[in-house]
Amino acid sequence: MSLVNLAHVCSHMQNASKARLGLTSIPVSKMHVNIALGLQREGFLSSVTLGGPTPPQPFLLQKQPDPEEMDEMAETLQKEPWHAYPVEAEKQGKSVNWTERVLGKEQVHDVSVPENPARRRLWLGLKYWQNEPVLRNMKLISKPTRRIWLTSEDLGKITRTRESSYVKGLTHPGECMFITTDRGILEARECVERRLGGMALFRVWS
Amino acid sequence: MSVCRPARCLFAKATCTTLPKAAPQRSFQTSASRQGRKRRPHYPSIKADDLKLLNEAAEVEYPKYDTTETSLLSKKYTPSQIAAIKAAESAIDTRDVLTQGQQRTDPWLLPYEDDMAEVDPVTDNRPRLTPDDIPGKKTFRLANDVERDEAISRIANENLAKMYPDGIPEGALDAATEQRLQDSFEAALTQATLDPRATYTSRNPAALEALADPRHSAVMPDLPRLENRMARQTRRLSTEEEEDPRQKRLLQYLGWDKQKLRSIRVKTLVSHSVTNQTRMGKIRSLYYLTIAGNQDGLLGVGEGKSVEPEEGRKQSIMSAIRNMRPVPRHENRTTFGDLERKVGATKVQLFARPPGFGLRTQHLIFELARAAGLQDLAAKTPRSRNKMNVIKATWEALTSQKLPDEIARARGKKLVDVRKVYYGGSVH
Repeated sequence: MSLVNLAHVCSHMQNASKARLGLTSIPVSKMHVNIALGLQREGFLSSVTLGGPTPPQPFLLQKQPDPEEMDEMAETLQKEPWHAYPVEAEKQGKSVNWTERVLGKEQVHDVSVPENPARRRLWLGLKYWQNEPVLRNMKLISKPTRRIWLTSEDLGKITRTRESSYVKGLTHPGECMFITTDRGILEARECVERRLGGMALFRVWS
Repeated sequence: MSVCRPARCLFAKATCTTLPKAAPQRSFQTSASRQGRKRRPHYPSIKADDLKLLNEAAEVEYPKYDTTETSLLSKKYTPSQIAAIKAAESAIDTRDVLTQGQQRTDPWLLPYEDDMAEVDPVTDNRPRLTPDDIPGKKTFRLANDVERDEAISRIANENLAKMYPDGIPEGALDAATEQRLQDSFEAALTQATLDPRATYTSRNPAALEALADPRHSAVMPDLPRLENRMARQTRRLSTEEEEDPRQKRLLQYLGWDKQKLRSIRVKTLVSHSVTNQTRMGKIRSLYYLTIAGNQDGLLGVGEGKSVEPEEGRKQSIMSAIRNMRPVPRHENRTTFGDLERKVGATKVQLFARPPGFGLRTQHLIFELARAAGLQDLAAKTPRSRNKMNVIKATWEALTSQKLPDEIARARGKKLVDVRKVYYGGSVH
């Protein structure tokens, strides 16, 4: 697990948001994917797509369902809301997806991912709110030459804006910190909830 | 030969002798010598004719008492008083009064010519009475309820009679008169309730009257109000002060009234002189940086520069008030999280702190925080500490804070302040 690549990602995200880019790409690795998904879960990113050297088709250019179809679906769901939870049913030896039959087929956009893993990129959609980037600062905490492991007690202090184990507290409003644990890459507050410790990766705030 | 010689001596001028000349007098002052000055008499010489004319004019202006007047005086005054009046009259030369005396005609002249019938609070000492002037016993006691109500109604009637000497208007009244009547009823009752005669009672009516008599009061009376046309015109009310055109424009711009403008705390934090080098020479002017805040979440910074010091200061104050922007405050006391701002080579870091921490910052940031109404704050200026840039950076940091609600909205998260639930909403 190289933190050098993560450092590059951090710098790249800051530069991209300064340049007000809508979509940017980072190299693919398991850690990067998990980090991107974590950032998306925290609302810093609008989309995470695996793709090739060319950017994937933007959402607005993808084929959208008709508004009438959407209305129909909404009406059906209001009457029979249980269709929102898809259930596979057996009928005459065949599996039938009732949801698809009632609500219509879901539109899936296939993105062309190169066979060669070296040519794959992770495309991230950046967010902006009132002309300001949602993700403005992204900084490494552990460095390639100095890893920092934090216990859940440390993380409790840090999330309460106090300094612990030479890591400054999360004092900026809405600041997040990502930790790599044996249960995957998690946000610091989630780690505190689940009483997990791990290696601090980076902090991110706007 | 020897005969001639004395003859020549005889005819020769004295100046030709070998006697030394008197040394020229040194003048010790620049003014002309006494001889050089034209001698003027200390008093203008008055010709006899003019004097006669003057005497006549004085006679006309200030005539002597004639017999009818003395007979009138004798009716009013005792012979000794008349003698005193006559002595006083003769002591003053009417001619002098005419030539040197001045009759004041300005609107501020005091009414000295007075028949002494009334006490004028401006020119006269106030009349005072001592306890010895009260006849009879001087004891009084607290009135019971019945006596009190009785006294109040009596005093209120007296007060009303003073307000309406011609009697209370009766019959159908228009709204304004009715309102005035109601007001005066109320005023009379209030005065009567506050009157000491209502609270205390006494067997001796004179002692009771003395309680409300201003001549017995130890309190100095209010300053008299000059009821004069000129005084009315020149009297300045606090609301109609001198109008500064710039202030007027500012008030129009803000949509405020003067009362609100007066509540703004203004302080000039930086002032120094700057020079503009032109080919004609240096032009020095003064630079001012002023902050303005209402101590309740509004803060502005303004700059001004002018050759005239007062002008530059005014400029900076006006621009500071015009530039006021809201400062978001957490719980009305501190900032939302830590802030950082860089202006030029100056970096200012502001840190939110718990309640009761105080403003532990350098003086410039302290002044800004006080004007904005912040109470708990710590700050660092790790780089340059240029005064102007520190103020600007702090102001920008405080006014461009990101609110948690905004951040949550930007990230698509739901944010709930649980303290509003737990503490019944009794938080800021």
